[in-house]
Amino acid sequence: MNSYEPAAHEFASVARQPGLLTLTRPSQSYWQDAWLRLKKNKRALASLYLIIALLLMTLLGPWLWHQDPTLQDLDVISQPPSFGDTALVVADPGLWAGVTADTATLVPADPDGKLVLTATARIQTVGAATTQYVRVSWDSVPGAAFYLVYRNDHAPESGEDLGLPLGQTLAAAELSFEDRLQLREQDYWYTVIASDEIREATSFTTERIHVQRAITATQARERLLPAPLGATVALQSHPFGTDSLGRDLFARIIEGARVSLFIGIVAPFLFVLLGTIYGGISGYFGGTVDAVMMRVTDFLIALPFLLFMILFRIGFGIGPGESGIFPMLLALVLLRWEDPARLVRGQVLQIREEAFVQAARLLGAQPLYLIFRHMIPNTIGPLLVNLTFSIPMAIFTEAFLSFIGMGVAPPTPSWGSMSNDGLKSMLSSPHELLFPAIFISLTVLAFNLLGDGLRDALDSRMRSRE
Amino acid sequence: MLIEARKLRKYFSLGHGKQVHAVDDVSLGIAEHEVLGLVGESGSGKTTFGKTLIGLYDKTGGQVVYRDRELPQRYQAQDYKRQASEIQMIFQDPYSSLNPRMTIQEIIAEGLLIRDGGNLGSVRDKVVYWLERVGLHGDHLSRYPHEFSGGQRQRVGIARALIVEPKLLICDEPISALDVSVQAQVVKLLGELKQSLGLAMLFIAHDLSMVRYVSDRMAVMYLGSLVEVGPADAVYFSPQHPYTKMLISSNPEPDPVHERQRKDVIVSGEIPSPVNLQPGCRFAGRCPLVEPHCRLETPMLRTVAANHLAACHLL
Amino acid sequence: MSSDIILEVDNLAVEFATFGGSVQAVRDVSFKLHKGTTLAIVGESGCGKSVTVQTLVGLIPMPPGRITAGSARLRGEELLGLSSDQLNRYRGKRIGMIFQDAMSALNPTMTIGDQIAETLLVHMGMSAAAARQEVIALLSQVQIPEPERRMRQYPFEFSGGMLQRAMIALSIACQPEVLIADEPTTALDVTIQAQILQLLESLQRSRGLSIILITHDLGVVARMAHEVAVMYAGQIVEQGSVDDIFYRSAHPYTLGLKAAMPGKTAQKAELHEIPGSPPDLFAPPAGCGFHARCPHVMQLCESKAPPLFGAAHQARCWLHHAQAPTHPLRQQLLATTGNGSC
Repeated sequence: MNSYEPAAHEFASVARQPGLLTLTRPSQSYWQDAWLRLKKNKRALASLYLIIALLLMTLLGPWLWHQDPTLQDLDVISQPPSFGDTALVVADPGLWAGVTADTATLVPADPDGKLVLTATARIQTVGAATTQYVRVSWDSVPGAAFYLVYRNDHAPESGEDLGLPLGQTLAAAELSFEDRLQLREQDYWYTVIASDEIREATSFTTERIHVQRAITATQARERLLPAPLGATVALQSHPFGTDSLGRDLFARIIEGARVSLFIGIVAPFLFVLLGTIYGGISGYFGGTVDAVMMRVTDFLIALPFLLFMILFRIGFGIGPGESGIFPMLLALVLLRWEDPARLVRGQVLQIREEAFVQAARLLGAQPLYLIFRHMIPNTIGPLLVNLTFSIPMAIFTEAFLSFIGMGVAPPTPSWGSMSNDGLKSMLSSPHELLFPAIFISLTVLAFNLLGDGLRDALDSRMRSRE
Repeated sequence: MLIEARKLRKYFSLGHGKQVHAVDDVSLGIAEHEVLGLVGESGSGKTTFGKTLIGLYDKTGGQVVYRDRELPQRYQAQDYKRQASEIQMIFQDPYSSLNPRMTIQEIIAEGLLIRDGGNLGSVRDKVVYWLERVGLHGDHLSRYPHEFSGGQRQRVGIARALIVEPKLLICDEPISALDVSVQAQVVKLLGELKQSLGLAMLFIAHDLSMVRYVSDRMAVMYLGSLVEVGPADAVYFSPQHPYTKMLISSNPEPDPVHERQRKDVIVSGEIPSPVNLQPGCRFAGRCPLVEPHCRLETPMLRTVAANHLAACHLL
Repeated sequence: MSSDIILEVDNLAVEFATFGGSVQAVRDVSFKLHKGTTLAIVGESGCGKSVTVQTLVGLIPMPPGRITAGSARLRGEELLGLSSDQLNRYRGKRIGMIFQDAMSALNPTMTIGDQIAETLLVHMGMSAAAARQEVIALLSQVQIPEPERRMRQYPFEFSGGMLQRAMIALSIACQPEVLIADEPTTALDVTIQAQILQLLESLQRSRGLSIILITHDLGVVARMAHEVAVMYAGQIVEQGSVDDIFYRSAHPYTLGLKAAMPGKTAQKAELHEIPGSPPDLFAPPAGCGFHARCPHVMQLCESKAPPLFGAAHQARCWLHHAQAPTHPLRQQLLATTGNGSC
């Protein structure tokens, strides 16, 4: 089976010096190894990048996105996401006199009802149709006492399709209507129906009118966009739209991330630290100390979080509608440290019996040295995993509390309170709920996936037994 | 005697009045420069004896005398520190015996730094010396334990124990987790170091032929008590206690002809639970030669040949 | 002679995909198992001995494992590449398996009796009553005292030795032709090991079992084996009858292993270590896997992998090449009867 025929000289023996054992693989510390493993985990890595992006957004966002999250712009309330919109600068609307017909030319209503009301001959716009105002006028209809004006965003198919009127004129002579009701840049179908106070006309005229985005000269000045009338100016973009008070949702998400991530990161850090100290002491000393300390944590688990949250608010004199970040933080830290405490205690109890701790003992190590040199460093892996899983829990708790109104109060935004605001207009402008909800979900998901990845990367006991 | 256990006893409480008699009244000494092999099956208490001897476990009873000084009953951190330069230990599991977060340099230097203070730089030369003394390359100072194989880690453990120049080294099954070819490496290394440093060793193992090879004297434990002790060759080739005989005859030899010729020894039963033991010979339940009074009266160690003692009523 | 071959493995190669790259765990392994005999596969941890047999019974998870070459035939039927359904049909029924860690191989929530009975019900189509009788018979065959009582106990109530006996009872329940014993006594004490080895031997005699025994202990090999394959770095470096291996060792590694064990000689013969450690199978060395630790290394060994020399007694070492310098090892292969020239 072997085709190789060696030459005679190849059988020369090789002299070997008895050498020291060497390693060929490159050196890797615990963290380098863990990072390599984490890098192989695509989901965890993507989550890590997402979390870094979120943190950068929170920290640098206000410098990159200059929109003031508290600025209310009632002209753009509940606006869907917009980017790079432009607008025409138009004159301030002022008071419009409207179009009136000469009373003499009007045909009065026929009391006998023989005169059938017809559709108006035509509808026309007066001036440019802009989001500031749309002015329409129409021709008079013989026998009409007043006119009803309808607006639809599609071509009405029949009279039933029109819905409720936008308004009505007060007299037969009034042949125009000024519409300033929440105009958006789109096509509208305006319909005018004549009425003789008893009946409405069965036939009607519809005119499709394109509305152009515009701001008034005054608004342009307010927004520091000085431009002559008739010029086109670039408008403020709202990538995530605006809320019901016309505030930029993106700016509010950035601002809200501060509250959410502050609670989400600071609270776990505090309670994991508290738990580490508590669990470390309990585990190291063991025996009766351990038994008593662990019963305290058992007791702690039984305490209802929401009740304590309410008690803390009352205790700190925070009324309904007031911001309660501090009691929230306190409740989280005081009621959630038992999990890391148990983790650390278990780890310390286990490590205490490991041979390397016994070896260090025999070498004369003092208790503090043992704890800080041998026990804590070997607990950090599982602790980091615990911390990573605690963060989404805390973020979610904050969001939940703010959602039910026990967290931050207006005007401070948080993702939870923004979701609550958005819920009210969920059907008409879903983006107000969608964006904060997406951010909560993404952040919680990212931290959970990262935690999974970290657990796989750190808990594998360093390939030691492969 | 360098170190001597006198009626050393270690019970573990299981609660509900149950006690594990891990080590029961064991008297055993190790002379200067002597290697004492301690064999027994799992559950025989050999490891517990080693750890109780040097204070890793509190003693339930008895005393340990080291160079005419009695060692404490319960150890505090200071007691360990006082004996650090006298007694050290290497452990069975080469994986859990090195802190995975510390570099080889930090691990080996630990004893020196705890004893003398200073920093890694000041003891570097000494660490390199010991690393090479145990057969590892001096370049591997900043490597982590997980990068080494079992045998190499065991070498690191040896360097850590010996850098403080102890007189007595407790070897707790130092080779049982290693491959055959590596076992020989570690055993030879220990033998060399013993010779050059004049160490005394307690070599705990279950592999009789290896223990015979390593030791001057051999002691056999069964269920917490000492059943036989004597010169290694004497115990191995002319075992006196029925248990030692059973142990030696059940060890298969790497010699097919010998194995084909062997009469199958009757190896009956298993080591019973060491909880709340009653008086009587511990081995009575498995002994092929058992007599009624074996179950009533605990046999004492008695001399059966020169320096050779066994605890059996039938001798 | 060839008619009583139960299991034949040819040129098996298995590799694993890992974080660091692919590991060639088994390279070009061939062996034959004869009826009623014991083949011992001996080697150090990581030499590929367990992977070899686990591949045969489909216990290697794939991925990360991958069979890259070879075939394995049980009485002429190919085993490799079977679907899991087909695997289940012969695993347990035609090939039994016992492991080092019997505790984790048994279901902790089922009684010992139920676990054995389940196998009988599924594989042998027995009735519950018949299965119960068979369980008692099996437990007494493996010398578990009081089988009627013990069969109602759970694994945790068994000692290590008793658990291994129960494991053996389970593995022979369906009367397999082949029993694979993967380090069956490594975790046991030497007196218990002697009991288990005795038990395996008597089962072999009474049932005509063919046993593949995986072990690292040359003493166990000498006690149990008829044929021996010595593995190193994923390859069989020497194979032959047990006497060939022990008395006519033809590979430096086998010699080294023997010298590394203190024998039962009256004088304390010098213990000879094998220097160094096994190669990293992430990148197996170019030439012979053993060359870095070999006392007889030649230039050739560093670059060219040696083939197996010999016929009935084979060794993978260049020293057996016709042109190699005369060396005592060379006589060993020639001394074996039945070996032609190569």
